[in-house]
Amino acid sequence: MPSKPGATLTRMLALAAFAGSAALLSNALQPPSHRLPWSGFRPPSPVPPPEKGASLPQPPTPLVTPVQPARPTRPTPLVPPPAPRPSAQSTPPPAVPSSPIREISSQEAWKAFQGGLPFLDARRSEEYAAGHVAGAWCAPVWEADLEDRLLAFKAARRPGSEDPIIIYCSGGDCRDSHLLAERLLGEGYFHLLIYRDGFPDWVAQQRPMAQGQP
Amino acid sequence: MRAWVRHPGVTLAARLVLGLVFLAAALPKIADPPGFAKAIWGYALFPAWSLGPLALLLPWLELACGLALCLGFWVRAAALWTGALLLSFCLALGLNLARRHPVDCGCFGAAAPKTEAERLADMRWLILRDAALLLLVAQLLTATRLNQELGDGKEAEESSGMGR
Repeated sequence: MPSKPGATLTRMLALAAFAGSAALLSNALQPPSHRLPWSGFRPPSPVPPPEKGASLPQPPTPLVTPVQPARPTRPTPLVPPPAPRPSAQSTPPPAVPSSPIREISSQEAWKAFQGGLPFLDARRSEEYAAGHVAGAWCAPVWEADLEDRLLAFKAARRPGSEDPIIIYCSGGDCRDSHLLAERLLGEGYFHLLIYRDGFPDWVAQQRPMAQGQP
Repeated sequence: MRAWVRHPGVTLAARLVLGLVFLAAALPKIADPPGFAKAIWGYALFPAWSLGPLALLLPWLELACGLALCLGFWVRAAALWTGALLLSFCLALGLNLARRHPVDCGCFGAAAPKTEAERLADMRWLILRDAALLLLVAQLLTATRLNQELGDGKEAEESSGMGR
């Protein structure tokens, strides 16, 4: 059927309008774990691309690796950040103990678990339901109800800004635990420990696990 | 050449292939918008505020275009949208390939974890695949353009015949 340019443009707009309406409707009907806010969504800051030539091999990481967090995307923390600690002021180079976000090894994660420290699972809620560190809290960084889940965690555990919190995802190149750590840093938490090898390592070490919805 | 390009069989095949590819791409993303938002974030090209709207709108636009192409209505409009989408996909992949930033395509929903080298190799193939799909878009646009001209010619003939 012949169509005029004006008609084609109208039809393109109609297709876009259909897409917008359907997206509105379907998003309203999705369960919380599959819903996205249209606005006000606070995803973490994008990972900067690696510099040329530095993309593939990573230097060997020590047992405890300080991680320089990206600047928090949200400068209005729920808990006001405390004044800088004297130790951080007196030691100009980034000393390991003063780094607010750092990676920990499998052994350290196990010791933290035995010590009763709280674990946050940054993976999707389906992955959490399929299996997670026993006693871990579900905090899927990409899902719309993250805020509610974090509030529930804070209400139950009442972590202080200096209390250690263990965060994990799927290990490897999974960045979700780092993103959650950056978010918590923006909310005023300064002792965030990222379990570098994540849940696959926990399974491989046959440590205590649980299944089911959060 | 023009006759071959506007052959109804070729046009039918082109719009069915394009339509089915877009339908297959849209459905997993519609089912899991957060997963698609994460995939878009991985490209490191879009501001944070745009991730939600993009992850919600794009899959439904793909679905609308796929349906229009499969069912054969508003073909030119749908082909123009698919062309624009494919060009933007090529651009996004090409930019990340140029800076050697491996990304998961996210084209058909979440994929199995891959190494950086595997992802970079995949990105080259994905650009080729999108380029091939762009050829189908070009065929559809050419065929619909020729039909449009033919329709205009017939209208002119009819009006001139009536004037005699």
